[in-house]
Amino acid sequence: MIEAKEMPAQNMGNRQPFTIQWGRIGLYAAFIVFVLVVLIPIYWIMRSSVATSPDLHTSPINYFPHFTLQNFQTLIQQVPFFEYVRNSLIFAITTTLLTLVAGFLAAYAFARIQFPGSGVILWILLLTMALPDIGTIVPLYRILAGLHLLDTITGLSLVLGSALTPFTVWVLVSFIKQVPYEIEEAAVMDGATLPQIFVKILLPVTRPGLVTMGLINFINAWNNLLYPLSFSVGEASKTLSVSITEVYNGYSPYGKPWELIMAIGVTMVLPVVFLMLFSQKSIVRGLTGGAVK
Amino acid sequence: MENISTNAAVKRKVFLAAPSKTMQRRYLLFLILIAPAFLLRIGTAAYPIAQTILLSFTNLDLLKGTDNYVGLQNYTAMTKDYGVQGSLTFTIVFVLASTVLNLVVGMLIAQLLNASFKGRTFARTINLIPWAVPTIVAGYAFRWLLDDKFGLIPVWVQALTGAHWIVFITPLGARIAVILVQVWKDAPFMAVVFLAGMQGVPLDLYEAAKVDGANAWQRFWGITLPMIKPLVITMTIFRLIWSLASFDLVYGLTQGAPGVSTSVLALQIFQQGVVFFKFGFASAISVVLLILVAIVGLIALRLYRRADVAY
Repeated sequence: MIEAKEMPAQNMGNRQPFTIQWGRIGLYAAFIVFVLVVLIPIYWIMRSSVATSPDLHTSPINYFPHFTLQNFQTLIQQVPFFEYVRNSLIFAITTTLLTLVAGFLAAYAFARIQFPGSGVILWILLLTMALPDIGTIVPLYRILAGLHLLDTITGLSLVLGSALTPFTVWVLVSFIKQVPYEIEEAAVMDGATLPQIFVKILLPVTRPGLVTMGLINFINAWNNLLYPLSFSVGEASKTLSVSITEVYNGYSPYGKPWELIMAIGVTMVLPVVFLMLFSQKSIVRGLTGGAVK
Repeated sequence: MENISTNAAVKRKVFLAAPSKTMQRRYLLFLILIAPAFLLRIGTAAYPIAQTILLSFTNLDLLKGTDNYVGLQNYTAMTKDYGVQGSLTFTIVFVLASTVLNLVVGMLIAQLLNASFKGRTFARTINLIPWAVPTIVAGYAFRWLLDDKFGLIPVWVQALTGAHWIVFITPLGARIAVILVQVWKDAPFMAVVFLAGMQGVPLDLYEAAKVDGANAWQRFWGITLPMIKPLVITMTIFRLIWSLASFDLVYGLTQGAPGVSTSVLALQIFQQGVVFFKFGFASAISVVLLILVAIVGLIALRLYRRADVAY
């Protein structure tokens, strides 16, 4: 890590043949440890999801057990697997759309309509991020019950969408501020109304920001456990995250049915990891957009 | 709106001096645009938090059917509650330890991702995988990885040292496991933010330091860290507040066991509230959690003032 700050060109210049570069060796050692630590759990999930239970309980460990899709078949037979996948998808998509609509409108207001005190209002919104979600579970349970929204994806999306909105606003404000105000002015001169400005001008130019926050919020919602676990009762709104806890609480002849738990695990992990890998630049921009100014 | 000049300063002046009808329309538009976000936040955060505080003074219990004002009874009960006491202890241990480790490991990963070597692109690509993995899945995956008979890690440890390692049987082992898995999950996110900060540090600062004979260690403490200090403070605050409310990992990895040694307040709230329907008692624990968040918030404010972070 010693070379961390040196320009590559200088590295070349400094490199002396026949001397051991301990810095380089340390760097590659750190790299290998890092790769192993990140990827071994992923390998373990994938291996366990496509193996039979006996193959997972051998000594010594069977690192590449016989490949089988039996676990997914078992899941489909024993739990409403496709309903859970569908619920997870609908929950994630609805939540994402809600955060983008509410977030974009508010972000536009904070970016474009400024007056003494508007900054304070934005800070109040951002401060609500600090309120712990778990601390609102009991009243939310009663509120959702009162609105007949318990055990519905609508209820779950409202609650999680609300929680994800402040960060969405924060990031989108900086994206909208980057768009020159002159473009909107020109459109106003041409007689465009606000909805037209939103759809025809702002939406196309702030698309990178919307995609970024869309991806981050989708991943957050897909991964969310607390709300479905607290407010879902049946097949109507239970998600994969709830189903994995239910399978974990079951038993098999070998103890925990790890092959089934990991099969749901893979179903949950693969979509979001691929989404992350394919849109990494966009996601990094969003994650750092809030903190790095 | 037609008379707004392109110059930003003039624009503001014109806007403020504009006829009051235009101003009123701007304010109204502002309110309409922020309404959905604020209604959501009021309905699902502000109002419920107020409810939580009120409920904490009642014995509302869905299974017993009680719902009376009981004053501070829940709070006095908490001081004698084994689960809450244990959870309070581990919550504080967990929050402090995981935050410190997240900062250190996040910084190390950021240094690695910022170094120039073959494989950097690959390292940057896989870095965010733990961030994307659902916490509950990470919890179960590590529970299985740490299985004392068939888990990869204990088997390797036994092959190397001969020690038969049963991680989750002792409070210390289980606690270390919870903290380290949290670091596995969250340090990459820290690293991404720190990396972005490091890339903003002017390179000639390092050049000048090298001319002065500063080594890598001195350059890190003398240049990198002071330059990204505001980021480090912001991330520390975020981390503290998030981990106070953290629930998924403990739920997946240990369920608080052995005993209540790895239980956290968030898990107690879930169990008392959602599992046992003791709404009053669960609300009182929530208030304790809120107080902890408020303490972190006050410390944050002082830190920001001292660091002179412009926000």
